[in-house]
Amino acid sequence: MREQKKKKLLVWIGAIVIAFICLSPFIWMLAVSFAERPDFLASAETPYVFTLQNYRQIIGTKDLHVMDYFKNSLVVAFVVTVLAVTIASFAGYAVSRMRFRGKMVIILGVLAVSMFPQISIVGYLFKLMTTLRWINTYKALIFPYVAWVMPISLWILISYFMQLPMDLDEAAMVDGANRIQALIKIILPLSAPGIFSTSLLVFISAFNEFMFALMLTTDYHARTIPVGIALFEGLHGQIPWGQMMASSAIASIPLVILTLIFQRYIVQGLTAGALKE
Amino acid sequence: MPAKLGRGAISSSSSEAGLAYLLLAPVIILVGGLILVPVFGTLTLSFFRDVSFLPPVKFIGLANYRRLLSDPNFWYSAFVTVMFALVAVFFETVLGLFYALVINEKFRLRGIMRAVVLIPWAIPTIVSAKIWQLMYNFNYGLLNYLFVHFHLSSHPVNWLGTPLSAFTSIVVSDVWKTAPFMAILFLAGLQSIPAALYEAAMVDGASMFQRFWNITLPMLRPIIVIALIFRTIDSLRIFDLIYVLTGGGPAGSTTSISVYGFKLYILGDFGYGSAVSVFTFVLILLFTIMYLKMGRFQEGMKH
Repeated sequence: MREQKKKKLLVWIGAIVIAFICLSPFIWMLAVSFAERPDFLASAETPYVFTLQNYRQIIGTKDLHVMDYFKNSLVVAFVVTVLAVTIASFAGYAVSRMRFRGKMVIILGVLAVSMFPQISIVGYLFKLMTTLRWINTYKALIFPYVAWVMPISLWILISYFMQLPMDLDEAAMVDGANRIQALIKIILPLSAPGIFSTSLLVFISAFNEFMFALMLTTDYHARTIPVGIALFEGLHGQIPWGQMMASSAIASIPLVILTLIFQRYIVQGLTAGALKE
Repeated sequence: MPAKLGRGAISSSSSEAGLAYLLLAPVIILVGGLILVPVFGTLTLSFFRDVSFLPPVKFIGLANYRRLLSDPNFWYSAFVTVMFALVAVFFETVLGLFYALVINEKFRLRGIMRAVVLIPWAIPTIVSAKIWQLMYNFNYGLLNYLFVHFHLSSHPVNWLGTPLSAFTSIVVSDVWKTAPFMAILFLAGLQSIPAALYEAAMVDGASMFQRFWNITLPMLRPIIVIALIFRTIDSLRIFDLIYVLTGGGPAGSTTSISVYGFKLYILGDFGYGSAVSVFTFVLILLFTIMYLKMGRFQEGMKH
């Protein structure tokens, strides 16, 4: 029993340490975003003064374009999620339930693609998008993102589709439904949790993507919020930390809320993506 | 009715394959056109001299690769990348395991703790890079404030100012961001270990630490190997964090190969940049093969 107590104590100490590690940078971001000046820790002469001015400035100053970047990120991530999950559902259904030649080649090919580093395609993509005159448009981001998230989307969806009994859609087809109807009316509704997990992970990774967006956009017409924050200069030289942290808070809070609410689905998606053989 | 069924069954074998290819077509077109074609395009470009402001584009055979072999900055960035992957993945694994062990225990705040652990994972990498950049600030960053106030250091540390401290800073920020991913995988592993094993060990009087060494770690090993592969591949392509946190500095000392290649592209040197990119991919491939071989070797040892 003494050991039981010792273990309990260790777990509580561990929990406190983890909370400190995980939360302090997040709280620091919020603290600076609400501070009148970012150097409040420098000395006693610079006390912490609470203010909303940073948020007011980045929302109210059109020339900073923070809200444009945010909107671009939301639009791109949303369209990518819808397209990627739709396309991956069709493909995942074909792979998990239909017989055809070259199945293994296609699956292994798509999975091998996930090993490529982004750097190995970004230069060529830049040239391609320049030729197409797509630079600085949503299209230039949406299509590469959909391709880029395909391996993980397929991986998760296939692992969900495989869990459903094969006779389900066969029974439906005996009743006169065709393949597409079996997919839409039976398989998709039953895999709703898997589709939701996939959608969350795709949305988050599209929202966060940096290298392609940095290379393929030039201004607020298509620039996403990660690039906007990375290149944030403010209007008057000198790093405007307060505004930058307020922009960072606006960029991360939707994701943090999504993650906290749908924790279970995200964890399922991540483990399905990694642990299925 | 039976006749109709029979016809359907016959035609299904040929039309079924057709439908399957149709369902797969968008994936094949997108992945082929926007990933495979660019990868081969990059490979092709690496044999050309292609500098934006110095036309024309010219075939130069292996010249870019010869330049690569004798470019000390390139080899340095390859070294930084491999060191980063080894050190960061090691600490991620240790910290991730610690997170997983704690949130696997039944205690009152378990639900909240599981959410707390996910927060660093949920924050965009660029945002976390900026947060850490400000935390490392020499004059008013949180880290120097804590270090000086708790007497861990007599004077403020110039975190991003020297090569070694900048490298350490990158590792710390990266571990913070990615340990949650490890923790989630390990937690799934911990939950699949049968409770009976622990009960039997407790009957035999095994202590908490003995149970950890003799049951938990060996049972987790397959998942640890998978997690190591995933994270090593990912770390070898590190870009976002370094590009924003240090920009590859001071004086190029924290430049990873992805950052190096990207900067070549930005300068307009697409030929040489492509050669660097090809090498990045080859490096990842080598590590993956090595891990898989080691995995198989371990399997062999067991039998």
